[in-house]
Amino acid sequence: MDNENPGGVPEPEIRIDYENVDVADIMAQIRARIALRPPVPPEEPADLEEAAPVFSGSYPEGPSEEPPAGGKGRAKRILLKIMRPFAPVIKLLVLPVNEELVRTVRVLDHTNKKLDYLSAKFDHDLHQSAAGLDRRIIQVDQALNQRIDELAGRLSTTMETVKLLHNLSHNLVVEITKLKIEHETLKSKVRVMEKDFEMLGRREKALEKEVSS
Amino acid sequence: MKLAFVVQRYGLEINGGAELHCRWVAEHLKKYFDVEVLTTKAVDYITWKNHYPANEDVINGIPVKRFGVTRARNPERFGRIQNFIFHQEHGEEDELKWLEEEGPLAPALIDYIKTHESAYDYFIFFSYRYYHSYWGIRAVPRKSILVPTAERDPVVHLRIFKDLFRKPRAFVYNSEEERRMIHSVSRNEDIPGDVVGVGTEVPEFSSGDRFRRTHQVDGDYIVYVGRIDENKGCHKLFEYFLKYKKETGSAVKLVLIGSTILKIPSHHDIVYLGFLPEQDKFDAIDGAVLLAMPSFYESLSMVTLEAWAMGKPVLANARCEVLQGQCLRSRGGLYYADYAEFREALDLLLNTPRLREAMGLNGRKYYRENYTWEKIEDKYLGIIRGLEGG
Repeated sequence: MDNENPGGVPEPEIRIDYENVDVADIMAQIRARIALRPPVPPEEPADLEEAAPVFSGSYPEGPSEEPPAGGKGRAKRILLKIMRPFAPVIKLLVLPVNEELVRTVRVLDHTNKKLDYLSAKFDHDLHQSAAGLDRRIIQVDQALNQRIDELAGRLSTTMETVKLLHNLSHNLVVEITKLKIEHETLKSKVRVMEKDFEMLGRREKALEKEVSS
Repeated sequence: MKLAFVVQRYGLEINGGAELHCRWVAEHLKKYFDVEVLTTKAVDYITWKNHYPANEDVINGIPVKRFGVTRARNPERFGRIQNFIFHQEHGEEDELKWLEEEGPLAPALIDYIKTHESAYDYFIFFSYRYYHSYWGIRAVPRKSILVPTAERDPVVHLRIFKDLFRKPRAFVYNSEEERRMIHSVSRNEDIPGDVVGVGTEVPEFSSGDRFRRTHQVDGDYIVYVGRIDENKGCHKLFEYFLKYKKETGSAVKLVLIGSTILKIPSHHDIVYLGFLPEQDKFDAIDGAVLLAMPSFYESLSMVTLEAWAMGKPVLANARCEVLQGQCLRSRGGLYYADYAEFREALDLLLNTPRLREAMGLNGRKYYRENYTWEKIEDKYLGIIRGLEGG
C-alpha cells in the first residue's frame, strides 16, 4: 500500500526482499521517495485571518452632548456644568476608547504573527536550499573525487610512459654511441687491412719479379 | 620468524584508532611469531610529549622498545605549515618539513630500525602519515609491510606519500575503499596486499535487559558508541535526531557512550552515559534497535563491526565512503547523506523489525566471513607466507 506524503501525493511503498536485502536498492527507493516529496512550507498561523481584525474606520457612537429638551432640562444642564471638569474621565470610562487600543494591539499582534510566519518560511526555504545544495555538493564531491582518481591514474601512467621513453632514448643514445665507436673501429680496421692488402700486392709483385728474373 | 610492529604510540591507555588496532594484531600474532613493538614514549597525540620514562616495557607478554621524542609538536606551528601545504604551491622539502612537524619526531627509532634490520624478518608499520612510517619504510623497504589506515583527506595526496606507497613489500588495507584510493594515488597495484582490517570479539553473553535495568533506560533506543566529537559527526546526529523526533513524535531515545568534547543537547530522550566498561557497552548494543555511526572519516569502524557481530543493524553516514561501502557489502545497514535520508532510513529501520532482523543477520554473517580473529590471523599469515614465497 502506498502512503501519502504531506503534499497529498501518494508515496511508493519501499519494497524489500528480506531474504536477500539489497541496500543499494533500498537507498535508491528512499531517494526516489524523497525526490517525489514537495517541499513542506512551515506552518502558517492557523487563524491568521481571524486574528487579523480589519480596522473599519468607524467607532460606536457615544452619547450625544446635545441636552434633551423638557422640564428636567435645566436641572440636567446644571448637573452637566458641574460635571464638565470631569468630562474627560467620564468620556474615558463611558466611550469605547479602549476598543481602539485593543484593535491597535490586535493589528500589531497580527503583524508580529505575519513576521513570524515569514521568518519561519524564510528559514524553511533556506533549509531546503541548503539541503539541495548539500546533496549537490556531495554529488559534485563524488564526481570530483572520481575525476581526480582517474586523472591521478592517467597522470601516473603518463609519467611511467615518460620515464620509459626517457630510459629508451637514453639506451638508444648509448647504443648509437657504441655503434659509432664500433663503426670507427671497423673503419680503421678496414684502413689497416687495405694497407696490408696494398703491401701484400707490392710484395706479390716484387716476388713475381724475383721469380721471373 | 621475528616481527617488529612499528607504531606511533603503544600502551593499554590508548583505547582506539590505529594504535589499538596495532596492539590487537600484535597480541594475536604472537602465537605464530616472535613479536616485538617499536614505538615512542608519547601518549598525547597532539603534542607527542614523552610520557613513558622506561626504554623497555612488556605489555600483555609483548616486549616494547620505546624511543624518546626529541621535539614535542607545537600545534600552532603545525597548523600553519599544514595550512600552507594544503593551500599553496609548495615543494617536496615543504612536505618533509610538515612531516617533521606532524611527528612524532623520534630519530632514535629510525636509527634503531636501520642498525637492527638484520634482527627482524619483517617490520609492520602502522599509519602511513607519521614520521616513523615514512622514514622507517625508507630505511628498510625490503622488509616493510604497511598498514596505512588511510582516510580520504588531503594528506594522502601529498607527493612524498606517492613515492612512499611504492616502497613497502606488502600492504594490509582496512577496506576496499582504502585500497582503491591508495592505488589511484600511487599506481602501486603491483605491490601485493590484501584487505584485512581488524578482528573483533564480542562476549558470549550480553544482555540488553541488564543494561536497561542498570542505567534505567526504557523503550526503544539508538546507541552511539565512541568519542563524542564534531569530527565524528555527532553534532549532525543530535540535530537530525531531535528534528526527527519533533517531526514524527517518535518515542525513540538516543543513548551515547564515550568521552565527550562536544556539548550534548539537553533533552530527556538523549541519554549520555559517559565512558562505560566493555561489558556494559556490549549490553547497550544488545539492547539497542540499531547503532548510529555518523562519522565523516573512518578507515574502519571497529564499533560498527562489533554491532554487526552482535546482529544489530547500523545507520551510517554516507559521506564516509568506507562506511557506505561496508553497509553495501555487508547488507547490514542503511546510510544517509542529509536529513531527508536520515529521516527516511531511520523511520524504515524503526518501523520494520523484519528489516532490522534481516540486516542484523547479514551483518553477523559479514563479520563471521571477514572479521573474526581466525580470519584476520589467516590473512596476515597469508601475506607473510606470500612474501616468503610459500
